Amino acid sequence: MTGDTAHNVPAFAPDVFVEGAGGSALVGGHCRQCGSTWFPTAERCPEDGTRLEPIEIGRTGRLYSYTVVRTKAPFGLPEPYGVGYVDLDDVPLRVFMLLDPAQVDRLAIGAPVRLASATLGVGLNGEPCRRPYFTLLTDTQ
Amino acid sequence: MTAVVGIGITPFGRHLDRTIAQLGATAARAALEDSGLTSAQVEAGYVANALGGMLFGDTTIGQGILAELGIRRVPVLNVENACTSGSSALWLAWNAIEAGQMDCAIVLGVEKMCVPGLGLINSGRSEIDTQLGLVTPASFAMRAMRHMHEFGTTRAQMASVVAKSRAHGARNPLALFQRQETVADVLAAPLVADPLTRSECCPIADGAAAVVLASDRLARQAPRAIRLNTAVLGSGSYENLADMVRWETDSRTARQAYERAGVGPEDIDLVECHDAFSIAEILHCEALGLCPAGEGGRLAAAGETSLGGRIPVNVSGGLLSRGHPVAATGVAQIVEIVMQLRGEAGARQVTGARTGLAQCMGGDRAGDTKSCTVAILSR
Repeated sequence: MTGDTAHNVPAFAPDVFVEGAGGSALVGGHCRQCGSTWFPTAERCPEDGTRLEPIEIGRTGRLYSYTVVRTKAPFGLPEPYGVGYVDLDDVPLRVFMLLDPAQVDRLAIGAPVRLASATLGVGLNGEPCRRPYFTLLTDTQ
Repeated sequence: MTAVVGIGITPFGRHLDRTIAQLGATAARAALEDSGLTSAQVEAGYVANALGGMLFGDTTIGQGILAELGIRRVPVLNVENACTSGSSALWLAWNAIEAGQMDCAIVLGVEKMCVPGLGLINSGRSEIDTQLGLVTPASFAMRAMRHMHEFGTTRAQMASVVAKSRAHGARNPLALFQRQETVADVLAAPLVADPLTRSECCPIADGAAAVVLASDRLARQAPRAIRLNTAVLGSGSYENLADMVRWETDSRTARQAYERAGVGPEDIDLVECHDAFSIAEILHCEALGLCPAGEGGRLAAAGETSLGGRIPVNVSGGLLSRGHPVAATGVAQIVEIVMQLRGEAGARQVTGARTGLAQCMGGDRAGDTKSCTVAILSR
């Protein structure tokens, strides 16, 4: 799947990911007090109550596990669609994320992935929206 | 000590012509009659229902159901805790009796969910993960993929969990599925979420189950009382990185239950666990200490969890074959174990069963479960 540039289309939810010239990144929450990073971010650190600061994370990672969902897709997602848990390269977090719908037959545990985003499915009110997803690094280099 | 002195249950399946209230009242009335107690002796009601608010706009249903049985004026609580709604209601009632607050309480789990367009269960529509495509089968499919990757668990081993479940269900007249299914049948069914096929995912159902709990003082008059040694309720740790094949929340809850009941896995004669998917039973068998981590697939394939095996698991048919009316499941597990410990389980009786364990799990958050329960019963 190629990322389109329909940036007037809203994100599926606020404060989950950012899109820019340098590609897409997830929005984590960083705690200055204990040094921990959280995804998705929250107002305060669950460990010590410090206000979390937004930090861009998760541009790359490795697939910890995955599946391809072949039933009726929720939120207008493609059928079938892939999802997985990805171990991020830059922070010690394992995050749940959509996977590139064009690659559902090529997924493998341990595969290196890169974050992308596109207009993908609809939001809570049925409107088209942008979602992040991980795509196999081997397909993009 | 607290005891189960009465049980009641409806068949699990489609009850299209019956309301939630009718289903619930049927099971609750049966449990009360089985206990030999009167409605006036019931000092509280704990009524679990997970989906009525969402599907029918029906909330706070417990008071109406119990009032029909003549249970009025006393505290009545409505409980929602995903797939542990029923076992959480049991936990509340057990605590109230253990604390000496009352001598008798009724616990009811009831669900009506066979409606058009239900779709797949998720863990809350507004959750970020749900909006990124996390449906419950996907969550367990990813655990299955990882279990195969780390431990070499095979598809045939996973399918053997289902074949065993169907054989058990065929011996339970209350179960939704009454037909045998081979490992080959299971593997040939349509894929839901790789690698899980439709046969490896539990079917939805309508149904209700109820138990009457009593303190020692009252239970002494009940000849068929079964001790409820302990009931434990825990929530997730949400540790990141979450290990998806060594389930800390699952094993922690089990360990607490064993410690509090003063028994170990070797003392358990039968287990009812939350086999919402084939891989789920494998993970729970490992977390409950029935086998070492990674060995759950081989345990099932070797027949050790079958009726007549070393440690029979889900002889009722479990969620996979009895069906999974969400809030009724946790109470139905207790009903099954009580029937077994009384020696009243008919064609699926575990010979000489003295101690049974029920495990339930519900909700998804950050690669963990939101809720987990374990109860241990003995005669």
